[in-house]
Amino acid sequence: MRIVLQELKKILNWKIGLLLVLANAILYFLLISYHIEHFPNGRPALDSYRIGIEMVEKYGVSMSEGEKADFKETYEQRLKDADEYIQSRVDFSSVGIHSYQDFQDINYENQEQAELRNKVVFEENVDLFWELQERERLIEFQNENDIIMANEMERGSSQQVATLEEIKATGNYYIYPELVFYNYKDFIVNVAIAIIVSVVLLLSPVFIRDRSLRLVDLQYTTRVGRNIFKRKMIAGLLAMFMVITALLAIYFSIYSLNNTGMFFSSPINSFIGGFHWYDITFFQYIVLTVLAIYFLGFVFALLAMIFSNLMPNFVALVGIQIPFIIAMIGPGISYLIYQITALDLSQWLVPSGYVLIIVIGSMFMLFVWRRERTLDIVH
Amino acid sequence: MQIVKFECKKALTSPIILFLLLLFTAYNILIVSNSSDFNKELHVANDVANSYGVEITDETLLKMEKDLQEELTHLNNITEEKAGQSFSSAGEFFSQLTYERQEKYSEDQLDSFYTIYLKEMYLDTAKHIDESYQKIDIKELGENNIQNYGLSGAASESLSKQYEKFGNRFDEMKRNMEHKRWFFAGKVYSMHSQLFKQLFLPIIFESIILIVLSTALITNYEFENKAHLVTYATKRGRRLMVDKLVASLAVSTILSVVLLAVALIVYFKVFDYTHLWHSSISSAFNWETNFPYVSWWEMSFLQYLVGAIALFYICMLLFSCSTFAIAVLLKNSYFTFFGFIAIFTILFMLQGFMPKSSNLIFVTGFNLTSLVLNPHQWFMASNGLLVFKYYEVITVLVAVVVITILFVFVMKRFNKQDIV
Repeated sequence: MRIVLQELKKILNWKIGLLLVLANAILYFLLISYHIEHFPNGRPALDSYRIGIEMVEKYGVSMSEGEKADFKETYEQRLKDADEYIQSRVDFSSVGIHSYQDFQDINYENQEQAELRNKVVFEENVDLFWELQERERLIEFQNENDIIMANEMERGSSQQVATLEEIKATGNYYIYPELVFYNYKDFIVNVAIAIIVSVVLLLSPVFIRDRSLRLVDLQYTTRVGRNIFKRKMIAGLLAMFMVITALLAIYFSIYSLNNTGMFFSSPINSFIGGFHWYDITFFQYIVLTVLAIYFLGFVFALLAMIFSNLMPNFVALVGIQIPFIIAMIGPGISYLIYQITALDLSQWLVPSGYVLIIVIGSMFMLFVWRRERTLDIVH
Repeated sequence: MQIVKFECKKALTSPIILFLLLLFTAYNILIVSNSSDFNKELHVANDVANSYGVEITDETLLKMEKDLQEELTHLNNITEEKAGQSFSSAGEFFSQLTYERQEKYSEDQLDSFYTIYLKEMYLDTAKHIDESYQKIDIKELGENNIQNYGLSGAASESLSKQYEKFGNRFDEMKRNMEHKRWFFAGKVYSMHSQLFKQLFLPIIFESIILIVLSTALITNYEFENKAHLVTYATKRGRRLMVDKLVASLAVSTILSVVLLAVALIVYFKVFDYTHLWHSSISSAFNWETNFPYVSWWEMSFLQYLVGAIALFYICMLLFSCSTFAIAVLLKNSYFTFFGFIAIFTILFMLQGFMPKSSNLIFVTGFNLTSLVLNPHQWFMASNGLLVFKYYEVITVLVAVVVITILFVFVMKRFNKQDIV
């Protein structure tokens, strides 16, 4: 235990700490900050966000037929407000617009009308018009979600259709604005990249450092002997766990600025834009992705330590890991995090992907340990 | 000389460098072969340039139109015979072609019809060059860009001034008839970005990775293998660093040249440019998105390619030099690699942090990272924010000055440093 603690101290030294801070600061500004600073990103995203909150507060996490009717009622109400607003402004009537319907049917070749529309919508940013536009989109999805479902069922495999049947029975799909959910997905993918890079930076030196200092010769002749290999590995995994937890804490406290808590108990299938294999809430989805990040971190920790033990020098150590990291950041993460629950993929694909990389990583580690147990370290 | 050779050997016999070189080369070949699905159609542009000369003039256009008319008669002869129809253009033929009707014709016939159709397309575009270029207002483009980037104050003034210069160049280009040359239809095939973006950009990244790794390996070799106490105590002593620098540059040359040469050879084997080498890079056909590529200087495709290769090589040498400086300073290749990546990324993001009202937003663009990440815009006037005629030259010079200063500093420090 004492050795593990000392090894832990060696891993978490100030130089690596500095490197991690620098790397995460850069990756934050490069990848993550956009999804925080620009949320919601302009119009009508802002209106989508506002209406979403209103829907959750008023109707809860699913909508009955009555509630849908009420939502349409609200739209009609706002439509009347818009009519009144248009009639109250002289500049509208002067170009021949007397109602919201006229406003929508604007002839873009009519210079005056088109100019007025641009002025009101893009320069004055009149909330009402943006809001109506978004409400129309949502109502359209509500009206057509059974058609979307029918199309999806037509294409799906038997397994997918069975899941779709279950979703259809709840009636709660393609209803709520998707902005918050997709913002989280983009956010977490980039957090996962930052964390994988951090884990690699943290654990690559574990074995190679002692080896290049010729410390191993001493360590292996002590009473603990070659078992110190295992203690170093345990210390590495502990350090990985601590760093991932710390980074997640930091990134999620930054994420809390997006203020999306009211959607936590919404089922992920209720959002517009896609179906999922599992009937879980948004909060459960967050937990799932966090767990996934720990698993990915574990695999890359193993990989970093394995190569740290096998590679002759730091350059080879960095070089050999580059293809793995690129493969993960490129196609890997899109399957393993972004589409973790996606119905479009076969249900077994993502879980077996995780099982595969974890098993291969562990087997490889086992092989390295067995090799180390009998390795001639003198020559 | 002997020492330099052995220093080079350290990197060139390192299995990891060779492994990555092979892997990257394989990936580049994959990129080329993945985008080769339309290379059968590319001969049309070559044929046109071959039979009518690479320059587009009114006479050649007339001649081409006449020839096409003949080919169309040939098409109509066949269609009359097979389906009893005749067409005023091959385009019309294809727009009415259904699956059943297609079966009446042999593969060869359809291919030859399609070639006629493509020629019609080229001819049509060529005829409308003047018209489409008349619609382009560089000043308005500048104003739009100012609005899009949200510039104000001094920054917006500078950009309008640059766009004025761009406008002059644009007029000069039109006078020189640089845009009236045959080239692959950009809107259909995007051959310029195919080569200078889809292929060059990955090569640049791969090359940087290899160069940083091998330079770090050579420079820090003695420290990491605990040989520094011996080597720096020899007669050559700390001047060994000079040999290491020369070796790093030599290795960088070998690696980047191999990487680029293999990719380009494969590329030009797959895509045929035979008659288009002397076409202009500012050709009206080299028009992919909403604005054609316009270079600051009159350049043929071949000149542009040579220029791009030269700039690529210079940048790679500069990256090797900067890695060397970082490596001497940090004496640890692990931190050297990530230090380099950190600086590279920070330079990339620098422009975004600058206030949009000050000229700093342009000044910070003159860095190697920004230069190297836009290979398809090299020497181009149509380059978004960085509309500066000597952008490439200034950026390289700035990098040379900065790296030289850094060199003097780190070498002075290293020469007197306690290395025990």
